[in-house]
Amino acid sequence: MTTWLAAIALFGLAGALGGTMAPARWRVIVVSAGTGAAAISALVVSIDVLHTGRVVSIATSRLLPFTGVQLHLDPMGALFVAITAAVAVAVSVYIVGYSNHHPMTRSSACAFPIFVTSMLLIPAAWSVTTFLFGWELMAVASLVLVLTDHRRSPDVRSAAIWYAVLTQIGAASIAFALVLLAAKTGGQGFSVMAQHSAAVSPWLRGTVFMLALTGFASKAGVVPLHVWLPKAHAEAPSAVSALMSAAMVNLGIYGIVRVGDTLLGGGPAWWWIAVIVLGVASAIYGSIHAATSTDLKRLLAYSTADNIGLVMIAVGTSGLLTATGHPAYAALALFAGMFHLVNHAVFKGTLFLSAGSVQYATGTRDLDQLGGLFLRMPIASTIFAFGTVAITALPPLCGFVSEWLLLQSLLHGLSSSVTVSVVLMPLCVAALALTGGLTAAAFVKAFGVGFLGIARSLAAADAHEPPRMMNVGAGLLASLCVLFGVVPVVMVGLLNSAVREVQSGAGSTVGSRGEALAIANTRGVFDPTFIALALVTSMLVVLGARQFVSRRHAVRRAPVWGCGRELQTPRMTYTATSFAEPLQRVFDDVLQPSQDLDVSHRGESRYFVESVRFGTRGGDAFERLLYQPVFALVRAVANKARLLQNGSVHRYLAYGLGALVVVLVFAR
Amino acid sequence: MRAHGAAAALLALTSGTVLLCAALALWRRAARGIVSALRVQGFALAGTAAVLGVQLHEPLLLVTAGLLVAVKGVAIPLLFGRLVQLDPSSSETDPVVNVPASLVAAVVLTLVAFVATRPIVESVRGVPITLVPFGFATVLIGFFVLVARRKAVSQMVGLLLVDNGIGLVALLLTTGVPLLIELGGTLDVLLVVVVLRVLVTRMHAELGVFDLDSLQELRD
Repeated sequence: MTTWLAAIALFGLAGALGGTMAPARWRVIVVSAGTGAAAISALVVSIDVLHTGRVVSIATSRLLPFTGVQLHLDPMGALFVAITAAVAVAVSVYIVGYSNHHPMTRSSACAFPIFVTSMLLIPAAWSVTTFLFGWELMAVASLVLVLTDHRRSPDVRSAAIWYAVLTQIGAASIAFALVLLAAKTGGQGFSVMAQHSAAVSPWLRGTVFMLALTGFASKAGVVPLHVWLPKAHAEAPSAVSALMSAAMVNLGIYGIVRVGDTLLGGGPAWWWIAVIVLGVASAIYGSIHAATSTDLKRLLAYSTADNIGLVMIAVGTSGLLTATGHPAYAALALFAGMFHLVNHAVFKGTLFLSAGSVQYATGTRDLDQLGGLFLRMPIASTIFAFGTVAITALPPLCGFVSEWLLLQSLLHGLSSSVTVSVVLMPLCVAALALTGGLTAAAFVKAFGVGFLGIARSLAAADAHEPPRMMNVGAGLLASLCVLFGVVPVVMVGLLNSAVREVQSGAGSTVGSRGEALAIANTRGVFDPTFIALALVTSMLVVLGARQFVSRRHAVRRAPVWGCGRELQTPRMTYTATSFAEPLQRVFDDVLQPSQDLDVSHRGESRYFVESVRFGTRGGDAFERLLYQPVFALVRAVANKARLLQNGSVHRYLAYGLGALVVVLVFAR
Repeated sequence: MRAHGAAAALLALTSGTVLLCAALALWRRAARGIVSALRVQGFALAGTAAVLGVQLHEPLLLVTAGLLVAVKGVAIPLLFGRLVQLDPSSSETDPVVNVPASLVAAVVLTLVAFVATRPIVESVRGVPITLVPFGFATVLIGFFVLVARRKAVSQMVGLLLVDNGIGLVALLLTTGVPLLIELGGTLDVLLVVVVLRVLVTRMHAELGVFDLDSLQELRD
């Protein structure tokens, strides 16, 4: 298995080198082959680790000077590798079609395999330097990819700057945390750190965890460090957004689990309460924005913040329950969180790739300009529909299973006798319910306005099916949505293996009884397969009945929701903005949208209106309230610094002389 | 002993001359005067190397002395001479810090140099070491010339004063830098002067002045 682990790096490198040097015509094929091969090797090794529980490790002193490279893939890491690998396989297929229209540039051809490979190897990194090396590589490569379309609009450049700054703040914070811990435990290998971290003072352990939490939360797109996420995800090419949203943000969660549970060996309740609070905040904030957003990819990006928030809630609950002495429920919460992470990767990957197909076919991602796509691009729309059903947690697809398990684990948390959890758990349940509803609203809007109804612009009316490879890539992930939703038992063994790595001694949290899921220590079983069968059967019954009835009567066809009108124009139908307007009113304080109403009159009269133009733009309250003051401060300090730096050569030389004299006199 | 005493006195004389020339460069306003102070300093530095060479029976130090005469005593002042001829107005008519204040500053900087080098002087015995503060003071005064003078010629002279000061400290501390390093360092300075001359000539052609303050406009 070590060969397969090494093969990930080799295939990735080959893809990057080949992609850089290959002629433009072959570039995408080389990149796709290299990345796909790396992802398949990763899939092989990670499934094997999860299945057998045997760790795979490589240590070499040749690659990085002084410190060497240490790779060590345990089941927890393998789960993250497997998620990334599955998404990467689908995206590798997808980019072949995508490049028909947008030829791959040389810099993206180089950065793409590096991005994927670094994400595949980060969960296997087993020393501080290896981890940080991979982390930085991922950050830089993804930044290059976000900048792919930098010539298209200044928004892309601004998004890249936001992303670069926040990711660097996060990386600095992570580096500081890991270095601090390594210094106190006397070794930079993760094994050594885990062994000696218990002896470190609680205050320092808390500092390390909070620093790491800040850093990883910025990567995971957790409120209030999420600001880069809607910008970068929306402006990056869709294949890249899919990878970032379905694979990269997961590594933030990975880092929190790895540092909190493996390196520090769990911690006091307040650490995990902080995680839960961040999770609740980003789940609610993300879903409110998703519900009111009219840009398809922005909507998906905010929904990533929402889902990662749910996973944070699960991870925090797991830690809290461990700290308060309920390891069995803790394991269930972690199981649910990890399952939701898997499902999020699968359905968000599906949705981003389909959104890319929409953008490919229509040239826009503004929902107000779309409509009626279902008739013109049925396959791509069906794939999007699968993602929609999964993300809104409707049976029989995968989102339902994991959200249900998450709800179960939160309810079990209620039975704990500790005050904190008794207060927090109902709040989490409420947050889960609220985000569930808002997500449903967001995706009814996305699918209803974007794909059903009538076309609202020429671009939407001219839409056509995207290249086959794009549909194949997105379809791969959509089929996983179905698989994990209908037969979730396939994931039970793998997830248990990963959870056991962290919650040792918990046994099997979720067992399988036939095709049903059984939660340990409870009587009932949860049978998604049966639910799926029941749903499909009842649908077949309804269809059969319709067929039966229609045979006797003549069929009349009329526009859907035509309300008896003879003619229906796009201006009569709901737009994304008008659909979300009531929600926007409810959450006015959070969203603080800027609206402009422009009324022009005919001639001199005030009574005859010629035209009314209404526009609304959703900003980000955190950007305005948290980040703008910081920018203003930096600008003010920089202006003060101008006094020192006035451009006179003599003054600069005088600074040098002054410094020299001071050093000579005081530093003898 | 007598020979030693004479050598020590000669060494003090040459090193003192190096420092004195630095002060002279600060005192004189005319470009020609400043350059001749630099020339004398080059010869004094070479003299220091020669005295050390005779005293320590190091023939290589004599070669170094010859090199210093050739480069710092002859070649560099010649290059400056051309520059001064190009623009007779390159004298310091309006320095940043006026001449009396500059001389007071030079006194203060010399004191700083003596204070700063006390640990070195006290830790090692021997005549050359006691003269190290002269070199330090030259470095500081050279730096001060850079700060306090406007014209491009003075700036270049300031840079060379710093270099000569460092050279003197190196000679006295190590009683003879390896010839190869000395050769490298000296030729380096020659090259720097040539490059700066080209730049200054270009600046004169573009802006019509030798005044560094005019560069400030580039910032706006």
